[in-house]
Amino acid sequence: MNARRRTARILAFALLAALAGPLIHGVLQLPAPGSADAPAHANVSANYVERGAESGGAENLVTGVLLNFRALDTFGEVIVIFTAWLAAAAVAGTGSRSGRRAIPVSPVVDYVIRALGPFIAVFAFFVIVNGHVLPGGGFQGGVVLGAMLILLSLVLGPAPVAGAFSARHWAWLRATGVLVFAATAVIGLVLTGHLFGLPSEPGLRKSLMIVLELGIGVGGGAVLAGLFFAISGTDRA
Amino acid sequence: MNVLATALGHVDYLVAVALFLIGAWILVTSGNLVKKVIGLNVMETSVFAFIVTTGMIDGGAPPLVVEGMEGPYASPLPHALVLTGIVVAVSITSLALVLILRVKSQFGTIELDEIVPTDEVRGAEDSDAIGGNDD
Repeated sequence: MNARRRTARILAFALLAALAGPLIHGVLQLPAPGSADAPAHANVSANYVERGAESGGAENLVTGVLLNFRALDTFGEVIVIFTAWLAAAAVAGTGSRSGRRAIPVSPVVDYVIRALGPFIAVFAFFVIVNGHVLPGGGFQGGVVLGAMLILLSLVLGPAPVAGAFSARHWAWLRATGVLVFAATAVIGLVLTGHLFGLPSEPGLRKSLMIVLELGIGVGGGAVLAGLFFAISGTDRA
Repeated sequence: MNVLATALGHVDYLVAVALFLIGAWILVTSGNLVKKVIGLNVMETSVFAFIVTTGMIDGGAPPLVVEGMEGPYASPLPHALVLTGIVVAVSITSLALVLILRVKSQFGTIELDEIVPTDEVRGAEDSDAIGGNDD
């Protein structure tokens, strides 16, 4: 066994060395990072930077790209993470459940995390609803929200957090991102004639974007919590 | 000397390549499934770092078109692409971890070396070898 492992290591090293050569060579041919005339800053990117704020409807250009120019990509992204939860829950649901208890933490840690919870939630919603002006957005805020749920699950044990909603409601919460995005796509079709189109009227466009961000954020946070529950073998949700 | 100067100018990219190779090394050589997932994550992170670095401009501002933020702006496109990549990476990681938990409950181990031998006795359905012993 030891000899086999050594041979495997030597083979792996040879493979990686063969991989390293072309990678390093190729990377050195690229324009130096940070140079303004690199191809990454021409064409599409230049167009986004130049006109993205007006035509995209978000001062944060990344949000504009995500929710407007590349909305179809983002829709796929939301579906991917929802499907990941479905698959994880399906796999975890078939196994024997241990329903193990949380490891007891010190009362100080327990108290501090309980006290921090609401502030983390407020911060998450701040990040979500300001995603079009400030760094942040639906996914980022959703991750903060999910992190809060996971943190609480670590301290209180997953059961009370998972029990906050019934399994059915959790499933709907996790589907929020997909459903809100699909609804917006249809609204865009009605208002502008294009699927995923956002109306050009600034106020309406901005509120639609915030609704989208909220859907992605709530759905993303619930999905992250669901993934944690699936991994930790929590019975409900 | 010239090569050295180029290498120094591209050190950001070279770090990404080094991380990629380290991740690939862990993925290929480690027999522990959780370590394999960690290796995969290191590889993914190196790719994200690489893509985000291509969008960087020396002295550039974040792509926020607001008061007090003057151009040149960093390219927003790589950021949006990497955001998609991160979501996919999280999905892969969580699904892999759940599958590893199944492997653990089925075989009682997450070491590949220890899983393979039990595969040989798969024919004997209710044999003790499948049940695992430390669970």
